[in-house]
Amino acid sequence: MTMINNDLCTGCKICQKYCTVDAILYSSEEKKCYIDQERCTECYVCLRQKVCSQGAIEPIELDNFYKQFQHVISDPVENHGVTGVTGRGTEEVKTNDVSGRIKKGEVGIAIDMGRPGMGVYLRDAEKVAMAVAGAGAELAPAEHTPLATLMTDLKVGKLVDECLNYHLLSVIVEAKCQENQLKQVLEALQKVEKEIDTVFSLGLILRVDENGENQTLECLNDIGIARPHRGKVNVGLGKPLSLA
Amino acid sequence: MTHSLHRSGSIESQKKDFNWFMYQTQGVNDVNIKPKALEFIAAAEAVGSENWGDVKTGPKTQYSVEEIKDKISDKSRIRGVFTKREQVVEFLKRIKEKDVGQSVVITGILEEVLPACKEAGVTPHSINYSLGVWGKKDNLPDDTTLSITTMCGHHMIPPKFVEHMMNQVAKGKLTEDEAAIKLANFCYCGIFNQVRCADIIKETVEKANKEVAAATEK
Repeated sequence: MTMINNDLCTGCKICQKYCTVDAILYSSEEKKCYIDQERCTECYVCLRQKVCSQGAIEPIELDNFYKQFQHVISDPVENHGVTGVTGRGTEEVKTNDVSGRIKKGEVGIAIDMGRPGMGVYLRDAEKVAMAVAGAGAELAPAEHTPLATLMTDLKVGKLVDECLNYHLLSVIVEAKCQENQLKQVLEALQKVEKEIDTVFSLGLILRVDENGENQTLECLNDIGIARPHRGKVNVGLGKPLSLA
Repeated sequence: MTHSLHRSGSIESQKKDFNWFMYQTQGVNDVNIKPKALEFIAAAEAVGSENWGDVKTGPKTQYSVEEIKDKISDKSRIRGVFTKREQVVEFLKRIKEKDVGQSVVITGILEEVLPACKEAGVTPHSINYSLGVWGKKDNLPDDTTLSITTMCGHHMIPPKFVEHMMNQVAKGKLTEDEAAIKLANFCYCGIFNQVRCADIIKETVEKANKEVAAATEK
């Protein structure tokens, strides 16, 4: 975990500007800063930016698996141990032209929990994972996405109880469904978004025709969701090219 | 990771904001990637990529191009920024011609990216579409701050630091370009668009100054 050494801190409060989730607090009694350990995501921005001229911010050994998971997922410099991928640890659409992970007729669902910038307690990630699984989506396995390593049952989306109160800068709930199931999955997300104490950014991954289109998005109109104007386009130059 | 997908701000502003990526697929083409990465970097530099980097080293706004190139390993991820559609077209043409076999991704406003693909002669395979922000949005920062912080998709940029940079520019202690570079250095991947950021800061500070002037006149 990250700590502020009380003996070195001068209480200047400069470090507060560098915390991504406002976890650095000030004690007016002690006239020192300290870190709210429940809120800190171990993103290490305060450490990497070397913000404290006194060197008062110190990394302490991450002494259990969940603390290590929290840090690896919150700090994009780290490679995730199972998927081998940096950032949030998943390849999603980026290599779909080679991996063929999302095939024609399928929809990839990438739910960026805690983004933009609010962070996410894993208990909220669990609610969303269970909602999409309950709507018939197939959650991605551990070899594809880090969150699955914490799931007790991929068919349900339940996470191990020990992890639920850990706060991450963000984590992705990744799943896929058939195109004809998309509407029910989105309706499940419309319901669960009211039950969580954070935000998520939603991405839908589709195979597209030569014009970059897919008629599956027509269903968005039926449930009051605006058509997307931004996209991450895999331009199909990877080899061997997946035609699936 | 969908870290370039969910940027915010006005559509007009986002039309000057593209990201390029080279990706290796684990277990397929993820060994000895340095020569391929150098081809991508050469193409990006040739068309004037405003920022690029490797998450394992950092962005070129903070580190020398030579240092980033030297440290490329199979764990690297190479990606960067364009501000014009023409750069995207030329970059894709060059990469297609090199035929390096790595996955290539371009993120941006679709009505800009898809015509660029067509012009470059590449065929989109898959798209990750942004359906925006859901959930409890009450505690999000204001739209201007978000338009800057979302340019680092891993959210390494603290909203309070954006506010600090705005204040520094307003007080004349930093130029908008200097503030934008300081913000870009938080984003290790090199996908932060410091050119667009400087425009946003300039516009915001000028607007605030005008409001102050108008209030003073009253």
